[in-house]
Amino acid sequence: MPPKAPTRPATRSPITSLLKAYSEQTPDRLKFIDAFLVFLMLSGVAQFLYCILVTNYPFNAFLAGFSSNVGQFVLTASLRSQVNPQNRTEFKDVSPERAFADFALGSIVLHFFVFNFLG
Amino acid sequence: MIPPVLSLLACAALASAAKLSLSGPRITVISSDGSTTRNEPLSLALKSDYPVQLSNTDTLKLSFTIIEKDEGKGIRPHQTFLRFFDSDTGEEGIQPLRVSPSGKAKFELNMARPPASLPPTSSSSLSVELFVGSFVHSPLQAYLFDLVLPPSYPTPKHPEESHYHVKPEIQHIFRPDPTSPPKFISAVFTGVVLAPWAVLALLWSQISTPLPHLFSSSIIPFTSTLAIFEVLLVWYWVDLKLGQVLLYGSVLGVVAVFTGHRALVSIGQRRLQTPKKST
Repeated sequence: MPPKAPTRPATRSPITSLLKAYSEQTPDRLKFIDAFLVFLMLSGVAQFLYCILVTNYPFNAFLAGFSSNVGQFVLTASLRSQVNPQNRTEFKDVSPERAFADFALGSIVLHFFVFNFLG
Repeated sequence: MIPPVLSLLACAALASAAKLSLSGPRITVISSDGSTTRNEPLSLALKSDYPVQLSNTDTLKLSFTIIEKDEGKGIRPHQTFLRFFDSDTGEEGIQPLRVSPSGKAKFELNMARPPASLPPTSSSSLSVELFVGSFVHSPLQAYLFDLVLPPSYPTPKHPEESHYHVKPEIQHIFRPDPTSPPKFISAVFTGVVLAPWAVLALLWSQISTPLPHLFSSSIIPFTSTLAIFEVLLVWYWVDLKLGQVLLYGSVLGVVAVFTGHRALVSIGQRRLQTPKKST
């Protein structure tokens, strides 16, 4: 395995360094949001797989679940970009509190439509 | 002036009453090799026992002279038609005939090249009739003979023929009701769909997020208002009508605006007091 020995660290090192940089440089609050985003993504993928692999029988339920995932992902991603300290220059007029208020309002409207679909 | 007119009218009436007849009607059937297979006179009064049979290559010749019955003089009528009528199918064909000034008429039916006026034939016989019309004679309609022709191709259907029948009753076919998959698959995918919650809990447990003020008096009303909103929406799913949800939601919205304003202002002040910490 002599040829592989040098390549392994070479291929691994970008990913590991990326993970390391992420865990060290990202504020905990953004990690908190990122975890939620990962959860939304996994949940959406699982529902979509169920729809295409098994059945879409309660199609309104699938629509409600999947669209709530997608919509929540969009809202959360925009919240993350607005509260990210590195983006402070781009969102000078938007304080983090304002961003969270927008997020809460958007989420409630989204959930209203989702439950409407679910009915 | 009047007597001549009357006499003219009387003459016309007499003339129109004059009857027509046929003289020497005769049919001849000639086969393809030129030999005559049938040659006989026709009688208008007696129906022949044997219908005239033609094969695909035979030729039928019909000849007669149209005369005035009383005087025996040949005349040329204004209209002369042969009618081929199939009483089984109701199909008929009309063939106009050419009559010479002396009243002689000939008709030749060559089965190798049948005329277009011949109706579509089946195995039943056609009755052949003669119609003679004249302005100055009473009309003549005479049955001549039965004619058996080789069956033709079936009658082409009229494009609108189906409009004249009762259409078959429409049987609606519905898609079968969708069914839920087997319970095992449902259970597996329920687990798969719920698994991200475990991932979420795992990730959040590894992130030590300080929430020091979550239960402070300024923030807890806002978070609880949001929670009540979610409960209201679940309640909407279970039971409520749209109008009720909009009513309760608008009331809750007013509350949420005040509590949220208070909570976020307090957080914002805290953030400004400690500018090193973000959010």
